[in-house]
Amino acid sequence: MQKTDLLDKLQEIVGKERVSASAAELYCYSFDASQVRGLPEFVIRPTTTAQVSAVVRLAWEKEISVTARGAGTGLAGGSVPVEGGIVLDMSSMNKILEMDFDNLQVIVEPGIVQEKLNLALEPYGFFFPPDPGSSAMCTLGGLIANNGSGMRSVKYGTTRNYVLGLEVVLADGTVINTGSKTIKSVAGYSLTDLFVGSEGTLGIITKAILKVRALPKERSVLLASFENPEFAGKAVVKVLSSGIVPSACEILDSNIIDAINTYDPKVGLPRAGAILLFEMDGTESAVREGITMIEDACSSLATGIRAATNKKEREEIWAARRLVGAAVSRLDPMRTRVYLGEDIGVPIKEIPRMLHKVREISEEFDLPIMTYGHIGDGNLHTGMCIDMLDDKDWDKLNKAADKIHRTAISIGGTVTAEHGVGSARAEYLELELGKALDVMILIKKALDPKGILNPGKMGV
Amino acid sequence: MTESDMRSILKCVRCGTCRSVCPIFDVVGWESSSSRGRMLIAHGISQGLEVDEGVLNSLNMCTTCGICEQLCPSGAAPPKVVEHTRHQLVLHGKMTQAQRDIASRANELGNTLGETGERMAWLGESRADVKEKADYVYFAGCLGSYRYPELAKRTFDILKKFGVTVLKDEVCCGSPLLRTGSDPLELISKNLEQIKATGAHTIITGCAGCYTTLRNDYPDNLKVVHVSEFLAERLAEMDLKKLDLKVSYHDPCHLGRCNGVFDAPRDIITSICDLKEMKNIREKSRCCGAGGGVLKGYPELSQELSKKRAEDIPEGVDYLVTSCPLCRTNLKRGGPKVEVLDIIDLLEMAMEQKP
Repeated sequence: MQKTDLLDKLQEIVGKERVSASAAELYCYSFDASQVRGLPEFVIRPTTTAQVSAVVRLAWEKEISVTARGAGTGLAGGSVPVEGGIVLDMSSMNKILEMDFDNLQVIVEPGIVQEKLNLALEPYGFFFPPDPGSSAMCTLGGLIANNGSGMRSVKYGTTRNYVLGLEVVLADGTVINTGSKTIKSVAGYSLTDLFVGSEGTLGIITKAILKVRALPKERSVLLASFENPEFAGKAVVKVLSSGIVPSACEILDSNIIDAINTYDPKVGLPRAGAILLFEMDGTESAVREGITMIEDACSSLATGIRAATNKKEREEIWAARRLVGAAVSRLDPMRTRVYLGEDIGVPIKEIPRMLHKVREISEEFDLPIMTYGHIGDGNLHTGMCIDMLDDKDWDKLNKAADKIHRTAISIGGTVTAEHGVGSARAEYLELELGKALDVMILIKKALDPKGILNPGKMGV
Repeated sequence: MTESDMRSILKCVRCGTCRSVCPIFDVVGWESSSSRGRMLIAHGISQGLEVDEGVLNSLNMCTTCGICEQLCPSGAAPPKVVEHTRHQLVLHGKMTQAQRDIASRANELGNTLGETGERMAWLGESRADVKEKADYVYFAGCLGSYRYPELAKRTFDILKKFGVTVLKDEVCCGSPLLRTGSDPLELISKNLEQIKATGAHTIITGCAGCYTTLRNDYPDNLKVVHVSEFLAERLAEMDLKKLDLKVSYHDPCHLGRCNGVFDAPRDIITSICDLKEMKNIREKSRCCGAGGGVLKGYPELSQELSKKRAEDIPEGVDYLVTSCPLCRTNLKRGGPKVEVLDIIDLLEMAMEQKP
């Protein structure tokens, strides 16, 4: 089929204004926040499930690949059309379709931005807990497709824990509904769980039934300073094994502390080798008790402990923490943050060991590696900034990232705890998953035999 | 492209924070209309992306409001990259008709509005009060001179008692050209010569575009103050009465976010009446949609932005006040629920003795 004929057909489905084949637009959709690149032939911004279904049906018939995309904030190329074809920009499907607070759930379209959902829920006293650093811009569809999480996952888990059901457009355009509005259902395989985290390789999510939680009555933040990240890692193990469940448990190393203080001087974090940020939420007494227990658990390892005194200070700390991944670029005008090897997860007990290994890798490649992340669930973000115009820096970065990935796997960890596999980490899946990857490939073949849905991703 | 140009583009890590605040993207919805998209387009041009209509639209659909730069975690400055890229393209003859019109009108007529009449006609009988030498010069601007001549005259009439004069042959400050990629060298030197001839140490302007241009783009580090800053320090000398009014205030991007003038207009307002703030203010103020050549180049889009800004006006106010004639013009196009006034209009209402 000629490209112009295809354009006509796509325009018939979604309307002229919602299809683009302009070189400028295609270029903009050839990126996300990773280093993966892929130029689409068309970008479409659908507004209804019927449109998505019709586009996918057409792509199925013509064997053209289709890559779904939310806000394009991914860090592994998950939404980058590495084999060309059609990009479905889902951000226009951004409505909250139903707020059913008696059932503690909402039904949303996939293009709604996480923060906008939470702003809409707040007046009713509810919230959607998964809280990634990109919450101000990332869409729920992207969050579901990557099983994203964020700073609250230590207590609230990942997006998967909040998805009760999905509406999904399959590779041939068929629309199915998975799950239901019930809290429990064992009717059949959990297809909902299959699509959560499938990165658009098995179907396109067009609707989601999400659980929401009542907003906690009280929150309190504690900052504990340590001589080095390893001591902080030990403190985390101690806190968690003493039975406390903080609503956030974040580590910041000394460079990250500088980056936060540079981005927002109001935050004024103390200088230290590492800081742990603990948050407790819940009833007033539970929060008070939890904070005291954390203080006790950290006291023998920490060099200083202080509480964030008020809501404003707490919010400033979290706002700066959310954006620090990019803010490390501010530390040196010649260097820019590159997201690579940035999302490993290790068993909680192995956190101090992994932190030590990261330091060794940093020394081996003579490349500063900053460490921050959701240490409470073993998820460490390693931040590397390079001179983007220096090939030697790129070489060091690639080698260091590779070693970080392999080290994480070797100690029983994962190459990605929440950012996704995409293309950037696909090469490690065989090593990490072994024969389980073959099962993934079988599932992919069963659901997408022509291989049109987000090809080139997840090692399938 | 120079190495430093490339580095400023590479500062963007494509995190997408700007998507959550870019007012153009909010209306248009395509990635190329976001700040991140424009950074990518600038990058693309360096990699050989052909400069076609889509590229020009992406780059020119930016009001240079600067909210992306304000919130960018990695320290990128998209408006600077946009202006610089526009400039590079214009040097190679690649521009939209709107850009061409802005430049040719300003260079031929000394204003971007296509006006051929005498610029300083607004002075009227106050022409007699124009002094050869003074410590301060009031720079009326194109909009002040041609679209709001009575406001310009009222402003000068208030200012003249403080030892302020005007330029006899003022021309466009050059802002519309700089924002849209053209060189205003002749305009700048014409104004600059006259400013020097008056012996003034400070320029006063009532326009956010003139303010940022005179302050940041003119040589010699001119001292520039906004008329609200100048008068906020002289309120005690002005015999003002309290007004039984409640007003809201729109921060012009190029005055507030880009240059930090937030308090002076508010000081004036709160000294004479009640202020009830808009939904998004100060550093996080939302653009009216007019700047950066967008009103001229994309009038419908510009109006859509203005409608969104109008939604930020709180209930129960009598007026929306601003301190830039371009913002005022465009805010009116957004169908606000109250009348839009310049800060000088409000001030004059409170003056016992009208100038």
